[in-house]
Order: sequence, then C-alpha cells, then structure tokens
Amino acid sequence: MSAIANIKQEIKSYHPFIKTLMFLVTAGVLAAAARFVFGLGATTNLSDTYPWGLWISFDVVTSVPLAAGAFVLGAVVHCFHIKKLEPLVRPAVVTGFLGYSLVCIGLILDLGQPHRGWHVFAYPNLHSPMFEVALCVMSYTTVACLEFLPSVCEKFGFHVPLRLLRSIEVPLIVLGAAIATLHQSTIGTFFLIAADKLHNLWYNPLLPLLFWTSAVFTGFCIIIIEAVMVHRYLKQPDETELLATLTKIIPWFLGIYLIIKLCSLFFLSARPLFDRPGLTILFLMELVLGIIIPLIMFMTKRIRTDSSWQLRAASMVAFFGLVLNRFNVSMFGLIQKDQQIYYPSFLESVVTIGIIAAHILFFALIARYFPIFEHHPEEVDYTIPDHFHRIDKQTISEKAV
Amino acid sequence: MSATRDFSQDRTFLIDMTRCTGCRACQVACKQWNQMKAEKTVFFNGEGYQNPPAMSEYTLTKVKFRDYEKNGHNQFAFYKEMCMHCNEPACVSVCPVSAFIKTPEGPVVYDTKRCIGCRFCMVACPFGVPKYQWSKALPLVVKCTGCYSRLKAGLKPACAKACPSAISYGSRTDMIQEAKRRLAAKPDRYFNKIYGLEEAGGTSVLYLTEQPFDELGFKNVTRRPLPSLTWAALRFVPAVFLTMGGSLAFISWLTHRKDRLRKEEEARKSASTQPKEDK
Repeated sequence: MSAIANIKQEIKSYHPFIKTLMFLVTAGVLAAAARFVFGLGATTNLSDTYPWGLWISFDVVTSVPLAAGAFVLGAVVHCFHIKKLEPLVRPAVVTGFLGYSLVCIGLILDLGQPHRGWHVFAYPNLHSPMFEVALCVMSYTTVACLEFLPSVCEKFGFHVPLRLLRSIEVPLIVLGAAIATLHQSTIGTFFLIAADKLHNLWYNPLLPLLFWTSAVFTGFCIIIIEAVMVHRYLKQPDETELLATLTKIIPWFLGIYLIIKLCSLFFLSARPLFDRPGLTILFLMELVLGIIIPLIMFMTKRIRTDSSWQLRAASMVAFFGLVLNRFNVSMFGLIQKDQQIYYPSFLESVVTIGIIAAHILFFALIARYFPIFEHHPEEVDYTIPDHFHRIDKQTISEKAV
Repeated sequence: MSATRDFSQDRTFLIDMTRCTGCRACQVACKQWNQMKAEKTVFFNGEGYQNPPAMSEYTLTKVKFRDYEKNGHNQFAFYKEMCMHCNEPACVSVCPVSAFIKTPEGPVVYDTKRCIGCRFCMVACPFGVPKYQWSKALPLVVKCTGCYSRLKAGLKPACAKACPSAISYGSRTDMIQEAKRRLAAKPDRYFNKIYGLEEAGGTSVLYLTEQPFDELGFKNVTRRPLPSLTWAALRFVPAVFLTMGGSLAFISWLTHRKDRLRKEEEARKSASTQPKEDK
C-alpha cells in the first residue's frame, strides 16, 4: 500500500468526533483564507469603534491564560520537585504548546500586515506592552516547543537530542515560567492605557497582577479538566489522586485573587462603579460563578478528592471566571454608553471555533502518536542518561499503541 | 517617556468654536491636500446635521454639528474633530514597532512602512483618532498628520490655512496666551476652560467653546499623560523577570541538591554493604 492509502486508511479508523473536529478545522482554515482575500472589514464586524473583537478577546487574550498549565505545572514539578505529579506534565506541555501556537495563528489573522511581524525585532519600542507580549509569546512558544520535543525524540528514538533536551530541561522550565509570568501580566497592562474607556469595575492599576494570578489558577484548572477528559475518552489511567494535590493549591490562588480583586475594586478603582446594570450583572456573574462558588467547592475536602466534582469546580473557574473576566476586560467593559454593540460576524466565529477544534484535534492526535502519557516516575528513569546508546524504542512504541 | 521635553514651542492649533461658522472649508481643504476619496453619505445619518457621520479612513478631520436649546431658542454649536497631537501620545507609547513618532515640531506622524496593523493605537487613543482601512485586505492606520509635510515646507496646515475665522496656528505658549486673553476679555462669551491644555497631559490642539465641553461631545479625558499608566507596570518587567527566574532557579537548585545528596548517600551505603555480600 502506498503512503497516501495508508494515511487514508488511518483517517477512516478515527472516531466520528475526531472527524467532526477535522471538518471544523477545515471550515476555520477556509474562513481564515477568506479574511486574507476579502479583508478584515468585509469579513469581520470590526469597526473604528471596535478595533479589537472576538479574535483578540478569545484567540489571544483568553487563550493565553488557558494555556498557562504548562508553566505552572512545570514550575511545581521541576522547581518545587513534587515528582509524583510528573505524569501530568507532558499532557500539560502539549496543551500549552498547542495553545500558544494557536495564539500565534490568531494574532497573524488579526494583524493588518502579518507579513511584517518581524518588524517587532527591527523597530522595537520598549514602552509598548504589545512589544513585550509579542516578544514573550514568540520566545515562550519556542520554549514550549523545546519542552514538547522530548516526546518526539522518544517516539523516533533520537537519543542525542533527547540527552541534550533532558539536560536543559530544568533551565527551560525556569525560563518558561519567568517569560510566562511577564506576558500573562502584560496582557493586563494592555488595558491600563484605556483609562477612559474600560469601565471602573475592571480598570485598576493592579490589572497585571490580577491577570497573572488568574492565569495561575486557570492553568491548574485546565490541567484538571484535561486529565479527567483524557481518562474518560482516551482510556488513560485515572489521576484523581494526583489531581487532589493540585486542588489543594488552587484555593490559595483563588483566595489571593479574590482578595486583590475586591481590594482593588474598593480602594483603587475610580467611581462610579455600579452605574450600568448590564456590566454589573456581568461582573457579579464573573465574581460569584467563577470565583466564589469554585473557591467554596475547592475548600471542601470531599469535592476536592472526587474526580467528577473536581471537573465541575475546575470548569466553573475556567469558563465563568477566566473566560468571562477576559471578555469583560477586553470587550464588554470597553463598550461605551449609547454605543452600537459589537457582535462577532459569522466568519469570525467560524475561525474561532476552528481554532478551538484544532486544539482538541491536535491534542487527540498527539496523544495517539506520541508518548505523552507513559511518564510515571516508577516506570521511567528521569535522570540524564550517562551513555549515548540508542534508546530502547521497542518498549515505548509498544506502550503507545 | 520623555517627560523632560519642553512643549512650549510645539506648533499648536487654537480652535475657537465661537468663531466657527460651520463652513467646513477645513474639512474640504484637508481632503484635497491629503488626496482622500469622497465618502458616499446619507443625510440625517448620525447625531446631527453632519456629513460624513464620523471620521474615517477617508476623512481625517470633520466638523461636528450639535443643536441645543438656549433660552427657548434652538441653536447650533460646532466642533472640529481632528487628531489632538498629544504632548505625550498614547499611540506613540503603545505601538510595538514605533510606527508613531512625536516630531520635534509637534505633530504626531505615522510611518506606513513600519505598521504591523495590531490596532493597539486605536484602543489606546483617548480621543478615538486613528482610523483603519477596513476596505483593504492588508489595511493600515490613517490619521491626521498635522500636515507635517506642509509644515516642513514652511506652510500652515491645510485646515488652518483654509479656515476663514476660527483656527489660529502658532507656538503652544502663544496659543495658550491668546486663549487666556480671549477668555479674560469676553468671559460671558466663553465657557471658562481651555480643552487640550491638560487633557491627556496636554495636547497641541486647544479648543474654546461657548457650551460646556461634554455637551458638545468632547470626551472627558484624564489629565495624566497616558503613557505613564502602562509604564507604571512595565518598568517592573526586568525586576519581575529576574526575581521570578532567580527564585525559581534557586528553589530548583535546592530541591535537586537534596535529591542528589540522598542518592549519593544511598549509593555510599550500598557500596559499603556490597563488598560484604560478595564475600
């Protein structure tokens, strides 16, 4: 059989869900192509009043904290050396790497002149938060890629690069965490310039700190969601016990976030705060559904150690807390009184759905073809190998099947 | 940002809306000088008797009409919209590729060859000035340049040249002095405020009006220079990077050292027990 026939055969064997995802991704790619042919104005509902729309709000501002799992877990496992969490690291790194790659794609679609992306290096402006985020996202994507590469090397048995990658593993994790801290917070800095545009409920000088803290606990929550999903749908071992360690850390960050948020709201924000009912409702939803209820849930021991409750609490944080918060800051909070309201066009939505589908699809495919789940410390030796011998490919590929 | 720069000699527009007749010569002159396309417009589209409804990629300046009632009589007020050419412009500070430049003469200009099209300038500008070429596949930003090319040639900006009555043009000090003189000379004619004197840290466009500014649709803008708002957070970047990287590196060195010592200890123990077993 030729290679193409092989691939066809392989694709036919996929689950219908994967095929649906493939269809959605194709639709997204076509919609993205339409953006370049017909232009931003024709394909999106963006205007001079709303220069930033769904692509910035979701594909960039929201995706970046959703992909934060890799850096927080990397720091916890390799810096604080909590080795038992090791099995969660590789899936988290894959999620982070995919997340950032897709952020880059979202940005390229949204830029007016994407072919000039390198201008960021040629004409740097140190005073621009956008410059910092561009630099950090590029370097972090590279770091995440390097963190992902060991599984590729293991798959194909490239032992020399693998040895190299293992020896720089910890420095990479430290570098990644430092870079991620910078850009997660700088996305908050973006909106500090919109002093007279962003509503007082969200505008305060601590925005960068709030963005970083929320990225940390969201990163943990995404790891939980992903681990439970993988257990349910990809037939991987149940990690509830390991996740219980994470659910012990989350309420601390949620609590700190809540305190900073309330303090900045009452002591650092300008008045009036509650003059617009629509925004007040959004703010309360974000606060109650996304922070307070999950905080109570994560503080209850029974809920913390049960896998389906872990999933519920974690997804509440991620979907109501984080997503709503980022949309509030980057979209709803910027709407001025008596202004026509922005809503995404059909094509914009198709692209965003395509990007989400691509994330799930690539994760499932990588999980299928690369060794990202078999890293239990009792089975695999993590020390840097002392020899340049070829890695025993057999054992790995057997497990992957 | 360069807070030390002296703005007193910057070329500045003083726009006295009480002297404006609403002839829109400035609007036409601007369009002619900048070779901008005409826009197809609809009457009564927007908030008043004004066309086009808003500044856009084809319209860099525009006279806004506002009708209001005073002492039982219907009256008109006008407001010329254009780039304010801030002393410390938000667009200059947020542009990741330094496409915006505050020229030493005063006007804020934009370099089409550098722009990557991120539109951060549009989000940042408190006056809503930069507009985007939504009609193009690879769009650029469009904004009033303060007729920098004319200025270089020793000419007045097109709008100031064309205006029969309302626009004065000169150094910032002179214009502020002139505005204050007018306010003092006819206090009952003017609303007692110079818009642009302190807005966004001061601008190179100053307005005088008869009506309170917010009633004419002037935006209520903070007096603090906007770049300082983001700089307050951005200046911590190197410190945060070093602290975060340093502390994590230290912690991982510490934890790994513990691990290594434990392993060495085990190895020594097994080494000391091993030979005995052999015998």
